[in-house]
Amino acid sequence: MIFTLLAGNLTHGLLLGGVYGLATMGLSLIFGVINVVNVGHGQFIMVGAFVTLTMFTALGLSPVIALPAALIIGMALGFFFFYTVIRRLIKAPELTSLLATFAMGILLEEIAKLIFGADFRGYNWGLGKITLPITTIPMSKVYAFIGSVVIAFFLYFWFSKTRLGTAIRSVMEDSEGARVCGVNVGWIYALSFAIGIGLTVMSGVLLTMFIPVGINPYMGGVYTLKAFVIAVLGGLTSPYGAFFAGLIFGLIENGAYTLFAMIPGVAPFPLTVSLAFWMLFFLLLVKPTGLLGK
Amino acid sequence: MKKTISKYYPLIPVFAAYLIMFIIGFFMPGMWQMVALLAFYCALGQSWNIFMGMTGYVDFGYVTFIALGTYGMSLGITYFAQYEWLGIGIIGIGIIFAMFLASLSALLEAFIALRLRGAYFAIACIGINEGLRYFIEGAKIWGGSEGLIYFGALVQALGRGTVNQLTTFWADFSVFIIAALAAFLNMHYMRSKIGYALTAVREDEDAAKVMGINANKYKTIAFLTSGWLGAGVGAMAWGLKLGYVYPGDVFVIHYTIECIVVVLLGGAGTLMGPVIGGLIYGLSKYWLAVIMPGFQLLIFAPIIIIIIVIAPEGVVGLLKSKLKGTKLEMFIE
Repeated sequence: MIFTLLAGNLTHGLLLGGVYGLATMGLSLIFGVINVVNVGHGQFIMVGAFVTLTMFTALGLSPVIALPAALIIGMALGFFFFYTVIRRLIKAPELTSLLATFAMGILLEEIAKLIFGADFRGYNWGLGKITLPITTIPMSKVYAFIGSVVIAFFLYFWFSKTRLGTAIRSVMEDSEGARVCGVNVGWIYALSFAIGIGLTVMSGVLLTMFIPVGINPYMGGVYTLKAFVIAVLGGLTSPYGAFFAGLIFGLIENGAYTLFAMIPGVAPFPLTVSLAFWMLFFLLLVKPTGLLGK
Repeated sequence: MKKTISKYYPLIPVFAAYLIMFIIGFFMPGMWQMVALLAFYCALGQSWNIFMGMTGYVDFGYVTFIALGTYGMSLGITYFAQYEWLGIGIIGIGIIFAMFLASLSALLEAFIALRLRGAYFAIACIGINEGLRYFIEGAKIWGGSEGLIYFGALVQALGRGTVNQLTTFWADFSVFIIAALAAFLNMHYMRSKIGYALTAVREDEDAAKVMGINANKYKTIAFLTSGWLGAGVGAMAWGLKLGYVYPGDVFVIHYTIECIVVVLLGGAGTLMGPVIGGLIYGLSKYWLAVIMPGFQLLIFAPIIIIIIVIAPEGVVGLLKSKLKGTKLEMFIE
């Protein structure tokens, strides 16, 4: 019985983990290329969630169409914040970039609150369910998982096979060297930041399928913290590492929840979150290059 | 002798500012709460500044110290209010608990700082903060997510009159004391061997170690000092004053951000910076809450971004470059 429950929850964890992975790739990409930790990361996920909600409820468009829209909105936001703020902070001490990205996050939260109000809102994309022997899974979650795998694969392809992707990887390795070889480093910085934000906003679209209580402007903070844990698991500078770390994190999160729920006298949900942060802490101390790193 | 005293001249404007604030709050009716708020921000800014300004480590989880200070005071009162003979001594026990918890987490962070720098250190500190918060909620220790409510116990132990005095005056007054103490320690460290050692470590840790400076010792001293002061503010301004504590209320990263904004507005790593920053931030927050309730953050966020981009050295940085070479120079630090 307990194994059925565990297996069922792990299946859900795997699906959620795929989306977590996508949601963290942007953070890792941005940190890898311009060395800025985006403390306002979760708020961009929130933007994606509201893009989906608006398109679904006001315009009646499916989340599949919301994905490209989210990418465009995210990249526009990314370029805007890069050229107004981030560009000036790349060589500055961490203090300023951490604070600036946090302030960006607050700004997004407050604008969203101004437009949508602070209440929880939700929608239901009813596509039916698949029933497995161990559990029942809504089709929307399966599509979200497939969506994030496809996007992650496209990114991988773009990174490894195209000229622009190679240029980004070269800047990640050594920005001075890349500049000497004729790469327009300033443009690569802007583009990576915009793509990072675009990916994050897109992941917000997919993540809405996993949020039963609905979304509100302040939902982002939790995902910032989760994204930190996942990014550290994946080595912090590697987008693919982040994707696989997301899968692992989804499994650990749901598995640990199932196990903690069996201990009497504790609250399993906060304990799971706590475990995630202690994991982050010990990983940083023991293996800052991440589980999959060298 | 004159030399040793003149080292401390920059403290004069700081103490004068605190004194003026105290006098305004004490003698003008209705001003005490606002002045207490300003002192709170000044004290936090000053305490955070010792950590960051002197070591260069960005502690994004600084609120852990404030929260643990609050919990220390709460635990002291919750568990010792039943012993009547202790009387006002339970506050002392609370402070001891607060200092003990703060020391533990300061040592933990100093241990992290042995291995991690920059963004990695900041993330690890956030990790400790959130890990602690959810552990308290999850394992249901210290009241779990329901927190501790001990105002009643406090009233029962000390009587309503004393408690009223404690919460409305002495709690805020001790924040002033902590602010002044933080300013003094900051200045003292800046002008002593500790400060020189930390400056050397901040600029180039490896070179400093080669020169024979025990970097870990001095960093630990700065971490402990900063943590104790933060915990003191938490114990007094939250623990004693409010009479309750919830993990979701105290382990909130936003308070770290407020410390950073205060310091950055005034000028990071300077003595007067946190005071000026605390005044500007506290007053404008208070004023915005009055004229536009609910929109403070919407206005503050772009202001923070603009300040970071335009004047990252803060007000004191600007003043320093303006007053360079004049007689007033020695009062600015």
